[in-house]
Amino acid sequence: MLEHFHVPEEDEVRIMPDSLRKTVNALFLKIGFSEKDAWQATDVLLLSDTRGVDTHGVSNMMRNYIRMVGEGTINPRPTWRITRETPTTANVDCDRGLGIAVIPQVMEIAIQKARETGIGAITMGNGRHAGMIAYHAMMALPHDMIGYSITAGGQSMPPTFGSEPRLAPNPHAWAVPADKEAPFVLDISSSSVAANKIQLLRRMESMTIPGLMADEQGTPIMDERPVPEETILLPNGATRELGSHKGYGLSAVAQVFAGILSHGTFGPYEGGHMSHFVAAYSIEAFTDVARFKSSMDDFLKYLRETPPAPGHDRVYYAGLPEHEESIDRHNRGIPLHKEVVDWFDKTTAEFDIPHLER
Amino acid sequence: MLDHFHVPIEDQVRVNRDDLHRTTADIFTVMGLSQEDANLAADGLVTADIRGCETHGVSNMLRVYKKLYEDGNINPQPRWKITRESSAVATIDADGSHGLVICPQAMDIAVEKASKVGIGAVTIHNSGHAGMMAYHAMRAMPHDMIGYAITGGGAIMVPTFGAIPRVGAVPHAWAIPAAKMPPFVLDISSSSVAANKIQLLRRTGARLLPGLLAEEDGTPIMETQDVPEQTRLLPWGSTRELGSHKGYGMAVIGQVFSGILSAGLFGAINPTETGSQRNGSQFVAAFSIDAFRDVGEFKASMDQFLTYLVETPPSPGNDRVYYAGLPEHEETQIREREGIPLHREVIEWFDSAARELNIEPLAQIN
Repeated sequence: MLEHFHVPEEDEVRIMPDSLRKTVNALFLKIGFSEKDAWQATDVLLLSDTRGVDTHGVSNMMRNYIRMVGEGTINPRPTWRITRETPTTANVDCDRGLGIAVIPQVMEIAIQKARETGIGAITMGNGRHAGMIAYHAMMALPHDMIGYSITAGGQSMPPTFGSEPRLAPNPHAWAVPADKEAPFVLDISSSSVAANKIQLLRRMESMTIPGLMADEQGTPIMDERPVPEETILLPNGATRELGSHKGYGLSAVAQVFAGILSHGTFGPYEGGHMSHFVAAYSIEAFTDVARFKSSMDDFLKYLRETPPAPGHDRVYYAGLPEHEESIDRHNRGIPLHKEVVDWFDKTTAEFDIPHLER
Repeated sequence: MLDHFHVPIEDQVRVNRDDLHRTTADIFTVMGLSQEDANLAADGLVTADIRGCETHGVSNMLRVYKKLYEDGNINPQPRWKITRESSAVATIDADGSHGLVICPQAMDIAVEKASKVGIGAVTIHNSGHAGMMAYHAMRAMPHDMIGYAITGGGAIMVPTFGAIPRVGAVPHAWAIPAAKMPPFVLDISSSSVAANKIQLLRRTGARLLPGLLAEEDGTPIMETQDVPEQTRLLPWGSTRELGSHKGYGMAVIGQVFSGILSAGLFGAINPTETGSQRNGSQFVAAFSIDAFRDVGEFKASMDQFLTYLVETPPSPGNDRVYYAGLPEHEETQIREREGIPLHREVIEWFDSAARELNIEPLAQIN
């Protein structure tokens, strides 16, 4: 994440990952999750927060999940099941289960299939929020596999040349293991900026930069100005000339692999309905694993050793900043906004569970 | 393609698809390819032209390919082989084959595997330029499968924040069948613009748009100006704030599936290469729709989804909303009927090549 999206230092309270884990797990149990699902959902949220992906961690998401279980849109005890299956594929009905609890269990099946045939890929319908989808792709890493995940659903982004939203900024994520280097983990939305980052800019009264969003008629805003009241997301690339058809296209591909391939879903959200897709590619099936990993080390080193352009200190690759952040946050704790800590205190009191340790 | 990349009307000469295919295949045959391989390579090239993807058709590419064959940089008679295989997966050593020859055959293997186990994926190394990637992905569609194709190699694009090029503008292509609607076919490079379009801008004297290119030191050019002498390709997204890490990331993951997974290839470095084109690597995959969902239902859903997209009310100043593959489908119908518009310079090249190689000249539409 860019610097200006982080919690300002004067507002942060540092919480150690284990303390946060304990409280989050207890909350999931309180709202009716099974032991297994509560552990799994907690693990996804914690990985987001330790990797510095605050948008998908406890701060934004925990209160949403609690609310959605309360409203009945998330089923806390889903009986998800396979509705169609081949040696490499499956189609899963998630029974309205929360994605961060269900998807990792489905990814385990994809990994098992990949162990047997070389590839496993599973599409999921009738699901709910997937969290940070890099988590699901990263599950393949310890098995010497390349992981891939998609989540899709809803509409907040117009097609290129369109004036109203008909797609979501559906993200794709890939995770590729290396040997000594931190793994390559790419988790990209197909919009030029996340919707909740526009909220943040508006709150901080920052200016838009050209190409970040469209006005309410869908015309890309190509100058600097205060963030208007009404805006629409743009596909990544911003304008046709700069490749907005690529963001639009990647969003549509995601909708096909997750939504259309599972149940034929697209368009407006219905009760938080999300579709997902996960895949695992066994490296062993293609090449020698040790050789692959050592090539990855060479490749990633070659990339991060690119001489930086003027004004920059370093060149990164996807997953490297998150890896470094993760080491730092395991040592110094996760910086939560004090408002979030207040929310935890209020909620743990309400649910009658031990409060969040500082 | 955007309008300003098309051949100006006054410079156009129209030719029929079949005639263009015949002459192109004849040239490949003289280069030493078997009739079968020559037909495959010609079909890949001419399909690019019929779809209006001129950058990857005969005009730019055929003379390059001819020279590569003449210089011994592509093997006209490759003895390619599968070096590793499982029920869903294979790795191919292409023995210096043209990408337009090996990729369709690799896709056929992927389709065969997908028809048995649900998915097939093949990684390929030791091959050359692969043409328009959409062609290979589209080969899965008649089998009611989703096709996916990547070509890796080279170092012409700077990483985000980088000063020198270290990745290719690695394209990914997906082809997805529908019932009545034209198929969804997305073929996207991971750079903000293709390298040969820069050449074109320079040739036509057009101005540069902000975000299209970087200075020689890697700094994104964010104002309208003339095309500088020395430029660098930027990842799709242009700047970090606008998502250039996404284009950079797509290039890296494409390189992983093609180059690293097949033979540990990346960048401009390749210790075993004998010619610059042999650093090529590709990845093709086929996903059987039937393995996930009823094919008839899937295609009906695709029709609904694609209709929903094209029926989006356009924003001010735009007539229509498209989806990937729709403009190319419409262009195909026009070109099947009216012929393929080639630049007269290209026609002259064909005429001189026909004389030199002693083959029938390319027939024109009068």
